[in-house]
Amino acid sequence: MIDTLANLFHNFYYLTAMILFVIGFHTLLTHNNLIKKVMGMNIMDVAIFLLLVSVGYVQGGRAPIFEAGAGSVHTYVNPLPSALILTGIVVAVSVTAFALALITKVYQHYGTLDAEEIMQIRSREL
Amino acid sequence: MSLSEHLPILAILSLLLTAFIVPVVAKWKNELAGPVSVAALTLSLVLTVALAGRVFSEGAFYYSLGNWSAPWGIEFYVDALGVFMMLMLTIVGLLILVYAVKDLAHELKKGVDGWYYTLYLLLLAGMMGMSVTNDLFNMFVLIEIVAISSVAIISVKDNRHCVEASFKYLVLSAVSSGAFLLGVALIYMVTGHLNIDAVAAGLETALALYPRNILVAMALIAVGLGLKAALFPLHVWLPDAHSSAVSPSSAILSGLVIKIYAIVFIRVFLKVFPWEIYNNIPVMDLLLWMSTFGIIVGSLFAIVQTDIKRMLAYSSVVQIGYVFLGVALLAQTAMVGAVLHIFFHALMKAMLFLSAGVIIYSTGIRRISDLKGLGLKMPVVMTMFGIGALAMVGIPGTNGFISKLYLALGALEAGRPFFLFVIMASSLLNAVYYFPIVGNAFFGKREEPLPEIKPIPMAMLIPVVIMGLAIVVTGIYAAPVVGLASKAVAGLLSL
Repeated sequence: MIDTLANLFHNFYYLTAMILFVIGFHTLLTHNNLIKKVMGMNIMDVAIFLLLVSVGYVQGGRAPIFEAGAGSVHTYVNPLPSALILTGIVVAVSVTAFALALITKVYQHYGTLDAEEIMQIRSREL
Repeated sequence: MSLSEHLPILAILSLLLTAFIVPVVAKWKNELAGPVSVAALTLSLVLTVALAGRVFSEGAFYYSLGNWSAPWGIEFYVDALGVFMMLMLTIVGLLILVYAVKDLAHELKKGVDGWYYTLYLLLLAGMMGMSVTNDLFNMFVLIEIVAISSVAIISVKDNRHCVEASFKYLVLSAVSSGAFLLGVALIYMVTGHLNIDAVAAGLETALALYPRNILVAMALIAVGLGLKAALFPLHVWLPDAHSSAVSPSSAILSGLVIKIYAIVFIRVFLKVFPWEIYNNIPVMDLLLWMSTFGIIVGSLFAIVQTDIKRMLAYSSVVQIGYVFLGVALLAQTAMVGAVLHIFFHALMKAMLFLSAGVIIYSTGIRRISDLKGLGLKMPVVMTMFGIGALAMVGIPGTNGFISKLYLALGALEAGRPFFLFVIMASSLLNAVYYFPIVGNAFFGKREEPLPEIKPIPMAMLIPVVIMGLAIVVTGIYAAPVVGLASKAVAGLLSL
């Protein structure tokens, strides 16, 4: 029990990331408002980014900028996850932008942003 | 390095660059946008054929992007499976594009068709990349490119059904991309690599140290890819999305896009994860049952549909079930059957969606019951639809028979004869929903007068006829395609 708690405490970045992921997923699934769904999607994405960035962190490491001729060897953090996350953020931003654009279209066509109401309108049409 | 060294990237770049040039061309001269896209895709097809010639004669090779070698740079692994997929993508994609050039004018609002080609080429470029990339993060980026462009290619037809269906598709595909990325992150945590070969080597040792990480990663990646491939019960988005889109979009989405995730699935699950996992956790058994339910339940849903495109969309859920069934049987013959079915079903379903598109274009009919008596008025299209229906059921002489035969033999090879009965039962179910359409169209008595039939443009008819003939030709003279497919899966199951 104590061991498990200690493990969780030492890895609290991962724990936070997982909690955030579940919060985001829950928001996405249970909320009817389309904007909130997009927010949930973003929280999920951020959770993954946090996880990946914290994987690359090295205790006491500094930014991986190599100074020529300094001669001293430092501990550096792993730059690869950060670089990946930059790509991931760009992707998440473009998906969000597209989703918001679609939401404005949905509002134009249905006059509501509530997923339940849209379902009712659609079932009446079919 | 000579030019032929760079074939893999050139085949993709020719599409990617044209995708960004086309809107400019469309601004300048709107009617030129279509031909320019067709030319780019033809160029890509020629490059892919050259690449395929090299791979099938000399074997697989690695290609480092920008000359950065493996653990640091992104790598392509151009093997027979990847090349087989690229061939399928370019051939079927080109035929659909030729059709689209004529069809779009009446389906889309004025001025957006230039953008349509952008989305179409981006989608194809992304899929070509996915079939050869050897880097998990690169895979994620390409998956996102394909996801966004496949949603956009639905919502480009700006009506209320499309907008709602594409929003649902976008949210679900964002969830699945997220799940895939989280899985990749967990794998990176324990191996420190993203290159597929390095990850596979790293997981061998990491499995004993961090079994939970790897299991969670596997579950996340399986759900992510299953959702994108519309594997039952994760198919809920597909019928709306594929039936409401414009016909060329439906054809490419049903024919090509959902299949490419099956290929990614094959690569990740057979090449990356170590085999010991499957001895402890019945992943493949689970997949077998999911695809079996998909085949049966999808067929039942398809039977009750009244809209022709919705029926075709549910039929895609069934067919993707066959593909995953072939993969999950873990037998050489079944794997050949799965890869064959990916190619053959791409031909069949693209052809069926396009001929449904022709019917909608010239008569405006979408309801299956209204098709009565159309057979004699539109003999060519309805005959082609009939050939597609025969192939879907798996009648000998069409290519559907060949792939189902290999799947059935694979079920026997794996020692699971039950799944032979699943395949046979679902062939009967396929007949239940495909044959009435064709029978009604040719022999049905029509009480009310036929609607006015617009003449069918040649540019729309020719791709449909070529695909219809290809279905018969590959069904009778199947040996070369089967040979390529066997080469494509060789080594996947080597333990």
